[in-house]
Amino acid sequence: MTALAPSLPRTPTLTQMLTDALLFTKAGLLLALLLIPTFAAHQIDPRLFQGGGIWIKPIKFQISLSLYLLTLAFFAQWLPDAARHTRRMRAYQIVVLLCIAAEMVWIAGAAALGTASHFNTTPVGQMIYPFMGLLAVTLTSAALIWGILIARNPSPAVSPTLRRGLSSGLILTFVLTVISAGTMASQPGHLIGQPLTGETLWLLGWSREVGDLRAAHLLATHAMHVIPAAALMAHLSLAPTTALRATTLAALGFTALTTWAFVTALRGLPLI
Amino acid sequence: MTPDSLFQIANPLALVGWLALALSPLRPVWADRISGLGVPLLLSVAYTALILAFWSGFDGGFDSLENVILLLSQPYAALAGWIHYLAFDLFVGAWITRTARAAGVSHWLVLPCLVLTFLFGPAGFLAFTLIRWVVTLRPAPVGKV
Repeated sequence: MTALAPSLPRTPTLTQMLTDALLFTKAGLLLALLLIPTFAAHQIDPRLFQGGGIWIKPIKFQISLSLYLLTLAFFAQWLPDAARHTRRMRAYQIVVLLCIAAEMVWIAGAAALGTASHFNTTPVGQMIYPFMGLLAVTLTSAALIWGILIARNPSPAVSPTLRRGLSSGLILTFVLTVISAGTMASQPGHLIGQPLTGETLWLLGWSREVGDLRAAHLLATHAMHVIPAAALMAHLSLAPTTALRATTLAALGFTALTTWAFVTALRGLPLI
Repeated sequence: MTPDSLFQIANPLALVGWLALALSPLRPVWADRISGLGVPLLLSVAYTALILAFWSGFDGGFDSLENVILLLSQPYAALAGWIHYLAFDLFVGAWITRTARAAGVSHWLVLPCLVLTFLFGPAGFLAFTLIRWVVTLRPAPVGKV
């Protein structure tokens, strides 16, 4: 019954995700639940960091890493059946989760201590920073691995459009994130230029006066959401060959958009 | 007995309990007897004795934060409060260890919860509760077809 069905995404049930990617699903849910105490701390902690509450950053990371893990768990249904439950896959997932745990402990710990987790110029901070980069690349590599495995999935049950959307989105998330976040890490901070008024964009906190590399990082990292979503829409509304072509165009267009955001920030200009 | 000397006895006693919990997979029954009953009971005897002996002489009370601070600024009251922490935190640690074993939660996940409970009591209880909810999720829920 289910063997022939999944050319369209199956129901996004928790059960499905737990079956396909037990560890990522559980860890994603745990990170989401940990927002409760972090948000409570945000409510009662008067300390500020770079103009915002000191717990804003751990909250952002918890949300995005939770979303990342749950997305990967959801996409796991399109991994080749043979790859999903191997011992190697389990070991790899544990490594990724340990990297995420280490990042979160450092980011939340730095907030609790009232210090910077990124661009920390103290001796300890400078010692930890390159190590954090290694952790970040390792945890982002899960998108690359997912993308490659889905691209190679031999099952005829997965439509070529969805396969291309998922694999290109996931691979681009890795490639573009490593480029944009890696460049950001090699700078003294996420801003290119010296802001005068400190005016920022609501919620996201990007500078509205000077270049802010975090915009490119955000776009890069969400390729794995935007491009598969575009592929799904194409799959549902267009003829198969047109849909496939539209998906390729969406991937190219999104890469161009991210590149534009990246170059604009490097030139010291705000996006909006 | 001075508050200091009682403090010097109570702390290592609690530590023995925490050590037993950390090593509990080796001797689960004994760990539970020591940390879930024996050490908390000893600490409870010490606490009760302190309250019986000194309560009537304490200033302050429970009705305002100011009064609580005043109460705990007196050595014997602070000592009693500290022993209260030691006893109940350990009791909760033993409950966590027991509950985790019954629910099939790995001891590797229990250890950080025990550290948190040891240092920051309720934070460890919260961490364990969240971990238990998530870890005991099953792909096909028992009882559903």
